Amino acid sequence: MTRGWRGLLKGAVGPRDNDSRYLLNVHRRDLPGQDTMARYAESDEVDLVIVGAGAGGSVLAQRLARRGWRIVIIEAGPFWHPDEDWVSDEAGSHQLYWTQERVIGGADPIELGKNNSGRGVGGSMVHYAGYTPRFHPSDFETKALDGVGADWPISYWDLKPHYEQVERELPVAGQDWPWGDPHGYPFSPHPIGEAASVLWQGARQLGIEMRVGPVGIVNGTFGNRPHCIYRGFCLQGCKVNAKASPYVTHLPDAIAHGVEIRANSMAVRVELDEAGGRATGVTYVREGDAAHRHQRARAVAVCGYSIETPRLLLHSTSKRFPNGLGNNDDQVGRYVMVQGASQTAGRFPQELRMYKGPPPEVSSEQYYETDSSRGFARGFSIQTVSPQPIGWAEHVLADGHWGRALREYMRDYNHWTTIGLLNELLPHPENRVTLADDTDPYGIPVARFDYSLTDNDRANMAYSTKVIEEILQAAGAQDTLTIHRYAHLVGGGRMGATPQDSVVDSDHRVWGLPNLFLCDGSVCPTQGSANPALTIMALASRLAQRIATGRVRAGGDGVPPATA
Amino acid sequence: MPNSEKRDLQKPDHLPNLRPRKQPRHPSWLPRQRRGTTPQMIGRYPDYDVFENAENWDAATREVVTSRLQMNDPLRFFTAEEEPALRALCDATTAQDSEPRVPVAEMVDDKLAAGRLDGYRYANMPRDTDTWRLVLRGLDETARSRYGVEGFAAADLEAQETIVAAMSDGSLTGGAWDELDVARAFSVCMRAILAAFYSHPWAWNEIGYGGPAYPQGYMRLGPVSILEPHERPGATSEDPVRIADELGP
Repeated sequence: MTRGWRGLLKGAVGPRDNDSRYLLNVHRRDLPGQDTMARYAESDEVDLVIVGAGAGGSVLAQRLARRGWRIVIIEAGPFWHPDEDWVSDEAGSHQLYWTQERVIGGADPIELGKNNSGRGVGGSMVHYAGYTPRFHPSDFETKALDGVGADWPISYWDLKPHYEQVERELPVAGQDWPWGDPHGYPFSPHPIGEAASVLWQGARQLGIEMRVGPVGIVNGTFGNRPHCIYRGFCLQGCKVNAKASPYVTHLPDAIAHGVEIRANSMAVRVELDEAGGRATGVTYVREGDAAHRHQRARAVAVCGYSIETPRLLLHSTSKRFPNGLGNNDDQVGRYVMVQGASQTAGRFPQELRMYKGPPPEVSSEQYYETDSSRGFARGFSIQTVSPQPIGWAEHVLADGHWGRALREYMRDYNHWTTIGLLNELLPHPENRVTLADDTDPYGIPVARFDYSLTDNDRANMAYSTKVIEEILQAAGAQDTLTIHRYAHLVGGGRMGATPQDSVVDSDHRVWGLPNLFLCDGSVCPTQGSANPALTIMALASRLAQRIATGRVRAGGDGVPPATA
Repeated sequence: MPNSEKRDLQKPDHLPNLRPRKQPRHPSWLPRQRRGTTPQMIGRYPDYDVFENAENWDAATREVVTSRLQMNDPLRFFTAEEEPALRALCDATTAQDSEPRVPVAEMVDDKLAAGRLDGYRYANMPRDTDTWRLVLRGLDETARSRYGVEGFAAADLEAQETIVAAMSDGSLTGGAWDELDVARAFSVCMRAILAAFYSHPWAWNEIGYGGPAYPQGYMRLGPVSILEPHERPGATSEDPVRIADELGP
């Protein structure tokens, strides 16, 4: 990796074609332009309706709005006003999560809600920790390389320019990255706290390489976005505007280019034309109003993530798709993945006060790829984390303590530091989203998510948990506590080469419906051991570029843009 | 003389996993709280009160946190019959045996009455609201059948802890328990109880947690300095009177 000029220019180069950082107000955290935002009539056939204002939908909207597309985003959750709505407090941040009813089943049910599901303008990235690693080239061909998982119809190299572009837009801060496709970052690494240094020390003793970052958190200033203040509430929504989420990185620019965000609006169905060959728009309801509304559009992109995207498709039945849109081959909602995310905490003689500084600080991808000597396929990554008190109480409870013992461990909070895992758990057709019997207040069946581990998954989790426990021992921990948990979601509408084993093609088009796109984490056929946010944004960036340059014609005779 | 016993908090020998039968010491070894309030007025940071920094919190956060000090309305979700078992369960699982108490029962009641869900329900379990009612009924039934007392709240603490331990490993059966996956019901209840207890600023005083930090931020990440101006070090084996003198009023 050449440092040279790039090293000198660190922190000084911004992205082209995205002015979000300058549109933000220094004194207010509100998304600028909400009051003067474009408004489209429901009878007006806009160029694109997007369902979901998260990582995928926001990037897609921002890119295409800049090409003159007239776009409406339908978002189930609220339009945030962070100065008033967000707080420096764990329990007070409950409304950031998708807490509407969902059913979880299978042999290893996955907890949803605050663990992995966002709601509102900005999506789950409003409360993600901030880690923004790339996928490795191997993630796109695990079947060919390791005989497990699936091969993507695109490669890492198709996404690489978009990873670079999105990293400049967030902007990502971190050390030069030696793993996967080695690369540098546009911003220098953040200083790290004592809690993370202790862990890094332990890893070094064992010969495990770690690096600071990569995080989508401003180090320095970035337009009107200030430096991080290290208050540690990344998972509760960044009131500082230092942590990247579409709310600050893409939606300001999108609104400035004519995108309308219709918040508190829950999509009910994607509608098709008479013949069932084209999407014609989206039916939705506004909160507190049972009336069905319909927004007409020349193309539709569903960007609701791995639970809500399959739910919407499965609920959109029609004569041509009696089992749900794009589901004639029974692929919708299958191969949903989560990552193993066990965490081990260690006790040290000195106070570490792990609540200071962003939870994501130092990470390692040394164990990312398959090593046959470990006895399982694929691997895991290691990342420092730092739970606030409620998260720490759940950690202590998971080790079997409640009552007086729990209080004792809790009083010891300031002496502890925590290291976590992301295990690549393999895709499986029976790990799937279906519609449950219960319905939500709008009468839409709620999602049911079944999940069960495989032997490979369990072997990976057992091996990796030993590694992080050894790191803590090497660091000199006096006591350790381990919690087994899961994080992140991808899959459920995966891309592939044929309709028989996937939901969308390599251009995110639902098979058989040329103007219906899925553009969120649900399209990922595998997940690697990397946090998914950056990849979801990069996929949306790539799709937008292919549409904008005419490589994807979103309908037999081509779709928009209006100005083209 | 547990109160005068000198302890070095660099050593971990107070931690339950390192002690016989994984049981902690009786909390009387802890210093009494000298500033602010903690649950039962015990804690490891006797001179720390998170509210001394409240003027530096943003208004939205200050409102959310201080509202937790006024949680003393009558229960809305739980019935008068359920209330004793609810309070006893909250007390036993958070080891609150005296005043001042974090009002865990009121906070759980408020969450359920307002319909604030957590975003998932196990397929083999009823809704969280129904789970809570079944659990409280089950606790009363078990206390009656095993200990011959009127209800869970009437059992002594040891009996309550035995029942809760059996609930945590899923080994309770009969009556209401047969309608539940008992271990999962324990996790549903504990999720709400712990979120209530450790969202309360009195609990933050007890554990020395720095609290909200916007717009101020945290500047001392260690190792040279780990304490912000408003934070206080943990209780040590030094003479607390001398420390108090040094810190000033």
